[in-house]
Amino acid sequence: MTAAVDLVNLTRTYPTASAPALKGVDLTVEPGQAVAVLGPSGSGKTTLLRLAAGLDAPDDGDIRLNGASVLHLPPQRRGIAMVSQRPLLFPHMSVLDNVAFGPRMAGAGRMQARNTATRYLELVELPGFGRRRTTELSGGQQQRIALARALAATPQVLLLDEPFSALDSELKSQMHQLLLELRAVLQPTIIMVTHDHHEAMLLADSVAIIIGGMLQQHGPAQSLFTHPQSLAVSRFLGGRNEISGEMRGRAFHCKLGVLRLADGTACAQGRAVMVIRQEAVRLVELTATDADTRGIITHAVAHGARTLVEVCAEGVPLQCEVPPGTPIHVGDHVGVALPVSQRQVLLDDPCPAPSRVGTPAVEHVH
Amino acid sequence: MKRFVLLILPAAVPTALVLGAAVTMGVAQSMGLTPVAGGPQSSLDAYSAVASSGELAPAVVISLSIALVATAIAIAVGFTTALAMTTTRFGSKVLKGLAISTIPIPHVIGAAAIGLLLADSGWLARLFGSTAGNWPQFVAGPWWAATIIEYAWKESAFIALVVAATLSRDADELAKTAAVLGAGPAARMRYVTMPLATPALILAGTLSFVYALGSFEVPWLLGRAYPEPLPVLAYRLFTSTDLEVRPQAFAVSMVTMAIALVIGVSALRLFRRQVVTA
Repeated sequence: MTAAVDLVNLTRTYPTASAPALKGVDLTVEPGQAVAVLGPSGSGKTTLLRLAAGLDAPDDGDIRLNGASVLHLPPQRRGIAMVSQRPLLFPHMSVLDNVAFGPRMAGAGRMQARNTATRYLELVELPGFGRRRTTELSGGQQQRIALARALAATPQVLLLDEPFSALDSELKSQMHQLLLELRAVLQPTIIMVTHDHHEAMLLADSVAIIIGGMLQQHGPAQSLFTHPQSLAVSRFLGGRNEISGEMRGRAFHCKLGVLRLADGTACAQGRAVMVIRQEAVRLVELTATDADTRGIITHAVAHGARTLVEVCAEGVPLQCEVPPGTPIHVGDHVGVALPVSQRQVLLDDPCPAPSRVGTPAVEHVH
Repeated sequence: MKRFVLLILPAAVPTALVLGAAVTMGVAQSMGLTPVAGGPQSSLDAYSAVASSGELAPAVVISLSIALVATAIAIAVGFTTALAMTTTRFGSKVLKGLAISTIPIPHVIGAAAIGLLLADSGWLARLFGSTAGNWPQFVAGPWWAATIIEYAWKESAFIALVVAATLSRDADELAKTAAVLGAGPAARMRYVTMPLATPALILAGTLSFVYALGSFEVPWLLGRAYPEPLPVLAYRLFTSTDLEVRPQAFAVSMVTMAIALVIGVSALRLFRRQVVTA
């Protein structure tokens, strides 16, 4: 029940659209791996899944399962199942018959299909729900049934199109746990579209970022956050620190001075932007030896359990997240450490820079 | 009281009052309690008279036949049109426009138009250069063709719009879901599209059937003189110069209503049993 997926140079332009929904997307997923596709609204994520499922045809490119093109196959013969944001259960069927639908279509007898469905209902922790009508289920239960129905069809590839986005946080956590358990048991190849960075990091082996219909970067989730390959990716993933400057040799020259890069880091020479995650930036004592620069705290706002602090150093706004309980006073002079391993230099990008820390300023956060 | 009950009261109360008064008056008059003519005693004489006249049974048969055939054609055409409306760009615009423009045309106008179109001296006969006697007897012929065509045309537009409204909700998405679960076009039609459309088809089909059963003007204009469908028979008896037969007109109407009620209740029971297994 697993296959390697190769999406090759996928391109799709809708007849009424001025710009292509997808432009030459190449994406490879190894058998049993899960890839999360992240991107802003309208970036082409769902189009990618619809093309893979056969619900739409690309203008160019190929879709291969285990190396063989499935482009000429209709959806029912591709071996690719899909779960959408809405469960889309068949309202005229019982829960059991919904889950048994895939096995029935694969040629199983009614009883055999229902036996299979019963096993999958147990797998999604809804045993005994088979005789119910779909309208008698909660949103979370409906999504579990949709997942069970897709898995019962024993697809080679499972596509998930924001399947948990309509659920509340507690239900979402339960569904995440369930999907992790199902992955461990069934090991399907998964391509999952999501808006949620944390969901992507939790559930997927790798993350692909699509912006403006183009695949920007694909790799392990952590590396995308710490080493984005473009300013667009950095900004999409919430990166807040961008320091303009110039690369000369192995050193980055900017208003903060000369900043070294980690050994082995490749980067082009000339005008560039250094990015560093706000989670990586540390506030240190003014006299600390590891302080790369010094500045004054201009803003501090609560950011969930942590505090987002903005320091103005040599006219450059730097943002960092500090743990709860850290004494922060707007107006204080502090040292700022920019860990070498977390520095990434990218080509300059005309896109607007990320927003500054919000106002109003918090004078004293403890 | 639930909100939806309060919301439908302004429409339901006047309808119930008018309908209730009409049915009460119809029942009373069918039992001989007529103004001007007849006595103050109620009886079932009118029912006996109309049943023994030999006109009721053929009227029931011909009315049911016309309604059945017209409704079957309307369902087939309406369902196909609804599918085209919900799955094709052409259908969603052109067919929807045609269906919507058909609905406001009164049946009497439709009947007149069909008559002008299909009569042996009508537009089509002239278009094909047919001489008298060579043209099929659509109007006032033995197969009630013009009557059935008129009902099928008008009611198929109604059924198409009702079914399209139902299918436009989720049917396309559900059919696509079925496709990625392994269902081919035939299986999608059998297990998804048809079951989703069936409740709407039952309700709209029942309304069409009951309308064709009880409508008077179309068979009166386009049908033949004998046997008379139930509403034509009732109308002839009602407008008779002999006031003594007026209770028989109401008896025929009450029989028509009883048949319609049986059909309606049966359809409702069928509607409530719509659970399909794959």
